[in-house]
Amino acid sequence: MRRMNGPQRRRRRAGLLTGGLAGTLLIGTGAWAAEPPRPDEGNAKQIITERCSTCHERQADGSLHRIDHVRKTPEGWTMTLFRMNQIHSANLSPEDSRALVAYLSARQGLAPEETAPYRYILERLPAVVETPIADGDLSVMCARCHSAARFGLQRRDADEWKRLANFHLGQFPSIEYSLQGRDRKWWEIASTQTPQVLGQKFPFKTKEWADWQQAAKPDLAGVWAVTGHRPGLGRYGGTATVAVERDGYSVRYDLTDAGGKPLSGTGKALVYTGYEWRGTATLGGQEVREVFAASKDGQSLSGRWFLPDHDEVGATVTAVRTGTAPTILGFSQEHVKTGTSARVTVWGSGLDGGPVDFGPGVTVKTLSQSATAAVVEVAAAANAAPGARTVSVGKAKGGGFTVYAALDSVLVEPAFTIARVGGNGGATPPVSAQFEAIGYLNGPDGKPGTADDIRVGALPAAWTLEPFNEAAKLMEDVKFAGTIGPSGLFAPALAGPNPQRAFGTNNIGDLKVVATVKDGAATLTGDGRLISTVQRWNDPPIR
Amino acid sequence: MKHLKPLNKKATLVDQAVENGQMDEVVAMQVVVGCAATFDPGWEVDPFGSVAALCAPMEADLYGCSDPCWWPAQVPDTINTYPDWNAKAASAQNDWRALQSVFPKK
Repeated sequence: MRRMNGPQRRRRRAGLLTGGLAGTLLIGTGAWAAEPPRPDEGNAKQIITERCSTCHERQADGSLHRIDHVRKTPEGWTMTLFRMNQIHSANLSPEDSRALVAYLSARQGLAPEETAPYRYILERLPAVVETPIADGDLSVMCARCHSAARFGLQRRDADEWKRLANFHLGQFPSIEYSLQGRDRKWWEIASTQTPQVLGQKFPFKTKEWADWQQAAKPDLAGVWAVTGHRPGLGRYGGTATVAVERDGYSVRYDLTDAGGKPLSGTGKALVYTGYEWRGTATLGGQEVREVFAASKDGQSLSGRWFLPDHDEVGATVTAVRTGTAPTILGFSQEHVKTGTSARVTVWGSGLDGGPVDFGPGVTVKTLSQSATAAVVEVAAAANAAPGARTVSVGKAKGGGFTVYAALDSVLVEPAFTIARVGGNGGATPPVSAQFEAIGYLNGPDGKPGTADDIRVGALPAAWTLEPFNEAAKLMEDVKFAGTIGPSGLFAPALAGPNPQRAFGTNNIGDLKVVATVKDGAATLTGDGRLISTVQRWNDPPIR
Repeated sequence: MKHLKPLNKKATLVDQAVENGQMDEVVAMQVVVGCAATFDPGWEVDPFGSVAALCAPMEADLYGCSDPCWWPAQVPDTINTYPDWNAKAASAQNDWRALQSVFPKK
């Protein structure tokens, strides 16, 4: 029989209270009236007390050594438990681990403000280039192997950070040589300066976490207006209907893609730490994983979904609750050229309250209109003023739509990314890279590449690969590293040594990715850089 | 480097980098998240930000990375954490298909 979980117990308690003397006080407070579901913590407390404590000794202050002095994300705790099984034979079953992640994420998680700078790593967003960290030499000491997000998403005091340094030396005894210990006093730095810097920058106790522990957590049940972007495939939008189910939520997606085709499905999610949405869904027949963050007030969700075996393939997600302030979230197409017309879907919330307006020079014929989508035919006059438009649908307003007469420049996004060889009978699938050609107007200063450039959006392009440098030319990287398709999707070549190449090397390469866009009689090009490299054999939830 | 002369192209590149003052840039260089680039030679990206100076084919030196625990974030270390990782693949060049990813996603 399933154990009664925490929220159910609390609901019962809340019910008793509301039926008694506190009833009038509690009605309408929200947090008590509809306490959100929490992932089942099972017998986590018992596991920690009876099993983890056999190694993690109880301290004089009652805390357990190490366990009680660290805060992490759900993924961080998952990796800790994986390591406890792998290295220390903790023999935690999948059920044990699920319960422990729920318990530890609630008790020792990170506040929304604390995860905000590093969500890309949780979302497994490809093509992120981190900014070097100025404090200490964290970029050198830690971020040469890991992402900066990996330690940025942990909270410990200096003595506990030092234990992490000790762990590294004990588990990976050659680390001093790997980390250029030959050229500097590595261990002295790693065991003294670095823990101090980390303890100051990412301390165990913070106001943000104390406040979030006290805060009422949002109930995410309801109907949401959703939009997002699938690189290479365009925008999508529609609604998500979320309902409480057991210790989490069920969700039904009624979405359409930029062309109006359905992209619907259902899913389930657990919400850790009161705001960390982790879901599995089927969208358009494909299984996807969801990593979203709810806003503290529970009025919006944002994040990314991706394919389980190809996390580089996915989409951004933004959602707002319907029935609140009218707002425009996005457009199926973000631009119209003067003298042409286009069918555009406007996605958002409260869109059934008035006429659709794209500004002067653009005539609008409304084809359908609901609270979350307005489908319109827009026609831009030949003399319509080029530039960014604020679109309105009744009281809802939104930017991100551009009228253009002639493109001024084309940029390739991402400007720099990697792909990885894979397949060919090996265990690791290839990692692809998706590029898009983004048109721009010069803006008021008349110069390309400046802050006032106006984004026109993704445009169809012809894609070609060139050697990025002389070495790539000599090694014929273009011939061997992979191919790029008409949608800008780079498919890397097969893994393994290639006897056809010089030195029998892998099908790696350093490539210039060139997009050629036709705009009337003009032809514009833009380029990005792609390094197609070797596979990783260790790919944890936080890299 | 007065008494040392590079013998091959890769050594020449290193020599030139030192002469051009590029070695400091290597330490601070940032690449796409999750890539390790600043060791010599780097796992995904070489010290010059490209791939030409990587140890490649990677399989030729893979166990030189896993056995002495050189790249534990990218390659399972067989010293402590995954002692049996390559037990079924005596030769990385020939048997690399038998090697598994150690953090399966499902």
